[in-house]
Amino acid sequence: MLTLESVSAGYGRVEALRGVSLGVRRGELVCLLGANGAGKTTTLKTISGLVQARSGRIVFDGEEIHGLDAPEIVRRGIAHCPEGRRVFPFLTVEENLRIGAWTRRGAEIAADMDRVYASFPILSERRRQPAGTLSGGEQQMLAIGRALMSRPRLILFDEPSLGLAPTAVEITFGIIKEIRETGTTVLMVEQNAYGALRMADRAYVMEAGRITLDGAARDLLHDAHVKQAYLGG
Amino acid sequence: MEAFLQHLLNGLLLGGTYALLGIGLTLIFGLMNVVNFAHGEFYTLGAYLTFAAASLLRVNFVLAIAVAILGGSLLGALCERVLLRPLRGESIDTTMLVMIGLWIATQNGELLAWGGVAKSIPHPFPTAPIVIGPVSVAPLRLFVLAAVLVLIAGSHVLIHRTRLGVAMRATFQDRETAALMGIDVGGIHTLTFAFGSGLAAAAGALLGPIFLVYPSMGDLAALKAFSVVILGGLGNFAGATLGGVILGIAEELGAGYVSSGYRDAVGFVIIILVLLVRPSGLFARAGRVG
Repeated sequence: MLTLESVSAGYGRVEALRGVSLGVRRGELVCLLGANGAGKTTTLKTISGLVQARSGRIVFDGEEIHGLDAPEIVRRGIAHCPEGRRVFPFLTVEENLRIGAWTRRGAEIAADMDRVYASFPILSERRRQPAGTLSGGEQQMLAIGRALMSRPRLILFDEPSLGLAPTAVEITFGIIKEIRETGTTVLMVEQNAYGALRMADRAYVMEAGRITLDGAARDLLHDAHVKQAYLGG
Repeated sequence: MEAFLQHLLNGLLLGGTYALLGIGLTLIFGLMNVVNFAHGEFYTLGAYLTFAAASLLRVNFVLAIAVAILGGSLLGALCERVLLRPLRGESIDTTMLVMIGLWIATQNGELLAWGGVAKSIPHPFPTAPIVIGPVSVAPLRLFVLAAVLVLIAGSHVLIHRTRLGVAMRATFQDRETAALMGIDVGGIHTLTFAFGSGLAAAAGALLGPIFLVYPSMGDLAALKAFSVVILGGLGNFAGATLGGVILGIAEELGAGYVSSGYRDAVGFVIIILVLLVRPSGLFARAGRVG
C-alpha cells in the first residue's frame, strides 16, 4: 500500500534520512523503532509531505506522492497523528474534530463525528471545551479522533504513548488496535518498543537515518540486538 | 452630563474605526508574524478609493465605500502573494523592513497620483444634526457608526462561527498541524492579509468623508492601530475590538475635558501606562490568539 524507495531527506545541511526503504501492506500494523534522532519522525513527516524528500520515491496505492504538499496527501487518504498530540488548544473539541474533516464535504461528516463521540464518550461530554483544557490522555483521544475524521486509509502515529499515564497508554494502544481491526492500515513510531512490538505485525529498526533491521514483530521481540538496545536488556 | 454623553457617542464612533484598524493589524500579526507598517496605507487607500468612486465616477456613496473595501482587500491579497509569500520563513525583521518600504512607496505614490492638497468626499446625508435627547449627531456619523458595528459583528461571525474562521484560528495556533489537516496554509495567509487590509480600507472609507483625505493620513491611523493592538494584546480579536473602543472614548474625553490639542497625547499616555503595568495588553491571556 505504501512503499518508500531509498528516500533521503533532511533539514538544511543536516541529512536526517539516508536512503530509507520500507513498505506497509494493506491492513498491516507496522512499527518503526529507533533511538532519538534516528530519523523516525522525519520518515513520517516525509510521507505526509511536511518534509520534502531530496531523492527516492514514495508510492501510495500505486501513485507517486513525493513532492505533493501536506494538504494533497491528506486528500489521498493518509492521516498523520503528530508527536505530542498537537490538538489546537484554543479550539473546542468539536472544532478540532471539524478541522480533521477539512478536506471533506457533505452530510457524512456529522455521522462520522457521532461515531467518534460514540467511541470516546468523554470527548462528547467536553465537546464545547477548549482542547487545551483536556488531560493528556483525552487529548490523545481527540488527536486520534481528529485523524479519523479525514477517513484515512493509512494512519501514521508518531509516539502516541509519549507523556501519557500508564492507564492512558493502555487505552491508546487499545484504540490503535481497534483502528487496525476496522481495516485501516497503521504505521507507527513508538518509543515504548515492547508495547509496540506486541501489537505490530512487522517492525523496522532505524539507526542514524537508515533502516538497519526489519522483520516480523514477534521475531524482533526475541532478537538479541533489539532486546539489548530497545527493550532494556 | 450632556457633554459627557456627547463625548461618549463621539468616542464610540472614533473607537469603532480604531477597532477596525486594530483587528486587521492584530490578525495579520497573530497569524503571519508580520508587523505590518504599511497598515495605515490601506486606510489611506480606502479613503482615496471612496473619493475616486464617489467624487470622480459619481458612484452611489454606499457603493463607493464597498468598492473601497473590496479594492483594499484585493490589493492586500496582492501584497501578500507578491511581497510576503516569497519571504515565508524569513525573520520578522526582514518582513518588517519590506512593509516599511511598502509604506514609504505607497505614500509617495498617493502623493504623486493625487497631489498634496487634501480632498473632501461628498456624501448624500443632510448636515443638520439629529437631536436625540441630550446628544446631537450628524446623520453621516450615525451611518458610519452603524457601518462600523456591522463590520465588527461580521468579522466576529467570520472568525468564530464559520468554517473558514475555524481554519484561520487553527492556523494561528499551529501552522504545521493545520497543514496536516489539509488546510492550505498559504491560502489562509492570503485571505487573512486581504481581510485585515479590507478592514483598514473600510476604516479609511468611513472616516474619509467625516475628515479630509490626504496622502499622509495613514500615518496617524497606523499609530492608532498599533496602540489598539498593544492595548488589546497581540493576536487577540476581542482585545483589539475593546482596545479600539477604549482608546477612542479616552481620546474624546481627553479632548473634551482637557484640551483638544491633547487628543492624541491622551491615547499615548494610556499606552505607556498599559505597557508599564500590563505589558502583554489589557486582555491578554497566555498565548491566546484568535
